[in-house]
Amino acid sequence: MKKILNVTINGTPYEIAIKPKTTLVEVLRNELNLTGTKRSCNAGGCSSCSVLVDGKVVNSCSVLALQVDGKEVTTIEGIADGAKLHPLQQAFLEHGAYQCGYCTPGMIIAGKALLDENPNPTKQEVKEAIAGNLCRCTGYVRIVDAILATAKKLQEEAK
Amino acid sequence: MRDFEYIAPKTVKETLDVLDEYQEDCKIIAGGQSLLNILKQGLMAPEYIIDIKNLEELNYIKFDEKDGLKIGATTTHRSVEFSDTIKEHYNVLSEMERHLATVQIRNWGTIGGNLCIADPTGDVAPPLLAMDATVIIANKDGEREVTVLDFGVDYYETVVGPNELLTEIRVPVIPSNTGIAYLKYRIVEGDAPIVGAAVAFTLNEKGACKKARIGMGGVAPIPIRAEKAEKMFEGEKITDTLIEEAAKVASEETTPIPDIVASAEYKKRVIGVYVKRAAKLALTRAEKAAN
Amino acid sequence: MSNYSVIGKPIQRIDGYEKVTGAAKFTTDIRLSGMLWGKMLRSPHPHAKILNIDTSKAKKLPGVKAVITSADTLHIKYSNWRRYPHLMDETPLAEDKVRYIGEPVAAVAAIDEDIAEEALGLIEVDYEVLPAVFDPLEAIKDGAPQIHEGPTVKNNISEARHFEFGDVDEAFKKCDRVREDTFYLHPVSHAFLEPTNSVASWDLNGRLTIWTSTQTPYFIQTLLAMVLGIKEGNIRVIKPHVGGGFGGKMELFSDQYCAARLSMLTGKPVKIELDREEVFIATRRRHPMYYTLKTGYMKDGTLVAKEAKVYTDGGAYNAMGPTSLYLSGFFQIFPYTIPNYRYDGFHIYTNKNPSSAMRGFGGPQAEFTCDSQIDMIADDLGMDPAEIRLKNGMKPGHVIPGLAKVGSCGFEECVKKAMESTKWKEKKGKLPMGRGIGMGCYGFMSGGVFNWIDSPYAYSAAYIRMNVDCTVDVYIGSAEIGQGSDTVAAQIAAEVLGVPMEDVKVIRGDTDSCPPDLGAWGSRQTLMTGNAVKMAAEEIKKQLIEVTASLMVPNVVYDFDIKDGRVFIKDRPERGIELAEVVKTAVRAREGQALFGRGIYTPHGKGMVSPAYSFGAQVAEVEVDLETGKVNMIQVTTAHDCGQVINKLGVEGQLEGAFVMGQGYALSENLITDEGKVLNPSLIDYKLMRAPDIPDNFTSLMVETHEPEGPFGAKEAGEGLTNPNAGCIANTIFDAVGVRIKDMPITPEKILKALDEKKKKEGK
Repeated sequence: MKKILNVTINGTPYEIAIKPKTTLVEVLRNELNLTGTKRSCNAGGCSSCSVLVDGKVVNSCSVLALQVDGKEVTTIEGIADGAKLHPLQQAFLEHGAYQCGYCTPGMIIAGKALLDENPNPTKQEVKEAIAGNLCRCTGYVRIVDAILATAKKLQEEAK
Repeated sequence: MRDFEYIAPKTVKETLDVLDEYQEDCKIIAGGQSLLNILKQGLMAPEYIIDIKNLEELNYIKFDEKDGLKIGATTTHRSVEFSDTIKEHYNVLSEMERHLATVQIRNWGTIGGNLCIADPTGDVAPPLLAMDATVIIANKDGEREVTVLDFGVDYYETVVGPNELLTEIRVPVIPSNTGIAYLKYRIVEGDAPIVGAAVAFTLNEKGACKKARIGMGGVAPIPIRAEKAEKMFEGEKITDTLIEEAAKVASEETTPIPDIVASAEYKKRVIGVYVKRAAKLALTRAEKAAN
Repeated sequence: MSNYSVIGKPIQRIDGYEKVTGAAKFTTDIRLSGMLWGKMLRSPHPHAKILNIDTSKAKKLPGVKAVITSADTLHIKYSNWRRYPHLMDETPLAEDKVRYIGEPVAAVAAIDEDIAEEALGLIEVDYEVLPAVFDPLEAIKDGAPQIHEGPTVKNNISEARHFEFGDVDEAFKKCDRVREDTFYLHPVSHAFLEPTNSVASWDLNGRLTIWTSTQTPYFIQTLLAMVLGIKEGNIRVIKPHVGGGFGGKMELFSDQYCAARLSMLTGKPVKIELDREEVFIATRRRHPMYYTLKTGYMKDGTLVAKEAKVYTDGGAYNAMGPTSLYLSGFFQIFPYTIPNYRYDGFHIYTNKNPSSAMRGFGGPQAEFTCDSQIDMIADDLGMDPAEIRLKNGMKPGHVIPGLAKVGSCGFEECVKKAMESTKWKEKKGKLPMGRGIGMGCYGFMSGGVFNWIDSPYAYSAAYIRMNVDCTVDVYIGSAEIGQGSDTVAAQIAAEVLGVPMEDVKVIRGDTDSCPPDLGAWGSRQTLMTGNAVKMAAEEIKKQLIEVTASLMVPNVVYDFDIKDGRVFIKDRPERGIELAEVVKTAVRAREGQALFGRGIYTPHGKGMVSPAYSFGAQVAEVEVDLETGKVNMIQVTTAHDCGQVINKLGVEGQLEGAFVMGQGYALSENLITDEGKVLNPSLIDYKLMRAPDIPDNFTSLMVETHEPEGPFGAKEAGEGLTNPNAGCIANTIFDAVGVRIKDMPITPEKILKALDEKKKKEGK
């Protein structure tokens, strides 16, 4: 009754046998030990488990793993360039945009999805882009700042 | 979550055959943004899950000046939100999608799935009601067209039978001199609306109301239209006073139930406020379209 | 200001890289080879006798390795109240009866989660359902169902708190005016994002290792030892990164016990992770309270006498309730001076999940009532609410008879700074209908002097080893749970020893290698652990200076200091020696013994509550939708006196986070129950504030005082700001639309209803 899932995760192709009811977050965490993606509410209500599927941010707890067959998944472990942090990761460090760190991977992924689509967002657009991502520690202020600062930095670098 | 057999048909025809075979024993999953929670909570435990998420045949947005808009059922909310066609001809849908749930849900959830879950507070139905939209429901032997108004049966229940599949959403061409707006009320952003109101006004050459449509969510077992209030506008010059009066009537046409977020009385009151606000915005847009 | 190298600076946290890359391991991320999955069977009834539990079918299910009930325990009652045994009322698994929906009755360990889940369904429990009671005011009536038996519990009151000073009755008589208001405070959930969870592993040497998401590793170690009947030293508690606690992870919980017990029985590691619904229904919550407040005052706004009476809904067990109850009476008299005060608080059992500590620890309830009422008093008198606060505000050195002695206090400056920054005078009372500005103030503790756990150890301790390459290893038992306390400890060590931050390593979260510490609660770690770290670092510094003095042989006795890798004569900084050389010499001189420092801290002679108090004032601006009652936060300014700031980035982050948590408390969060059943046990239905809901502008102003009791003069910055928000928002709403909501949370519906009533009254 297990089915085969072929999926590329952070650039590496995987072939995994799973029960059909397995969600994407379960594959990442339980099968592949990619525990950077966090599970918190398991119902699409907190977006701690955000990952990119073909570049689009989704709640991996609310995606049947078999539905990503043949697709590309990017997790928090896959966005740095080797030892060089992604600019958003760097900005989260500099702005103190995390405290306990449990929502942080999902936040960074949501932030990346936003900037990939909209490199020059307004403050309101940033807030809306992370409206799904709950954070109980920071009050979001620094997270919004870090995403905006990254956008600015990337824009300047592109000039 | 209980284990299930997983079937991912490659075509619509194949899907309809499978549905015909398993009927009550199966459940269709598209984006699964609501269904997976229902399964996880054990509220439903189908033996077969028919996955249509990657059915490309139903992933489309088409428009022509004669038949209007056709959206395939597995089109994601995000595709609707970003579609230039929709922005050009049905911008209210793009606006609605932009604030539907959260970006994560919009990226994976489908417009067809949203309608089929039939949550009365869903964002998709009210603007569709305001635009006289219909849906196509297919089975092995053919298809039927049902209005969005007649689509819902009760809370979380639709006319789609166990062997049937919602395949398409159709929205007629928007007449000229029309303005449409959808506004919703929620206490916390990113959350489902408590109530939502969509209003469409088509003005005649004299600037009076030729046609009015009011779609409302969260105020009855299914998304409804405020038909009495709509009639108050037709043939009339739309004024703030008329809007106020019609909004009160619209509010009286609702039958909300209390829940943990708000009382029935409060919902009734707030829907009136939102019908009013959406009507004012729709009027401004209609007047702009007419000029 | 002093010329510090790292203290007071916006220092990047030391746990940053692992957290932004997803490498940081939380307990939820731990998987051991051969690990079993544990799950707990919970009571479906709010109150029922357990007649029989039959686990035989569950035990026979293939893949099930063990099933436990209370019969497999030592029947020991426990809680953090070890010093006051009459308050210890919980058992790891329900004994003779269940007292709330969700109370653990049995637990299973199986080879996978599905099998464990299936096994739960095969456990048969015969219950005799008993009448239940859910409201504390009902529970204290004669004839109400009795939830606990025992000589110290009568009418479901498990603890009464009383304190009094001055001559309250006489003072009331002398007052120009007296007002009395009753408030209701609702229950909210901690809603930490990492669910409560543990992994326990028993080894054949008879030692237990438990990885767990906790704020108090030492409590877990010592209490687990007690309930398992093994030596504390044979239990190793590892606290990996913790995904938030907010007071909800400072006790020993059933999942920790069950994981440990199941591991002992099976010889395999066992993991128990609560799902979100379990977290909502069966972990702790903030205390609901009926809070009656009577205050007497003079026409000039001087507060003279106060009487507070509190009936708190404790839920089914005491948990940390008696402390919340105590502090709710105590923080009622902060930050305004009251010469005559009487407090009576009652902790009442109900058939709901236990209420316990939550950020602010009784303070948010007290401060909501106190700050709401002081605004009402100002309104009665036609006074500016800021003026009445300044008039009655605490001053440094203030003594609360028999309870506390305030050291540093920057309250007045906080109020003034907040007023100035927000243009209070220009706006107050002058904004258009629907828009308002309001104030809320607070004082909070910097760690509690309480030792209910009855630890013989110092409250905080630190070991520091300085290596010959001048790197520094700091060993602390305090709990970093996101608040930034490990970074603060590293900063303190770096400052004292004159080394850069990157050369300080903090070894923490492991009871095998770190000294005991009472952990993260009551905003105690900056002050208490910080003092211990400072003392340990200073012990090493002293040794280094002795060596330097002997190397340099100055002809007079000089004071030395260490900074930026050099040890030098304080007044003649050009005369010094490289730190590395001093360290090597010191190690050689001690026959190769590494440089080692030890520090401890336990408060002495600081009253009944805390060694130091923080203060602050907050001003908010809101817009209220007059047709729906919805509140839109426009801006918030907080001026906070946390003594000497240690880490600016950390303090600001705490203030922002605390505000938004308080915003949720005031406006949207509510753990709703019906007949003891939680109706919104999900992060969809439990409404936390989301990014678009927060104020558009957020300003944090630091008011730095010097607290003699704190390391470098530092004090609290973690919880205090949770306290004033609800009152501040209520006052702001009053300013905006002229209605006063005393019944929390302040929902749009309540505002609209109050507006209707107001219109009716005004005859409109």
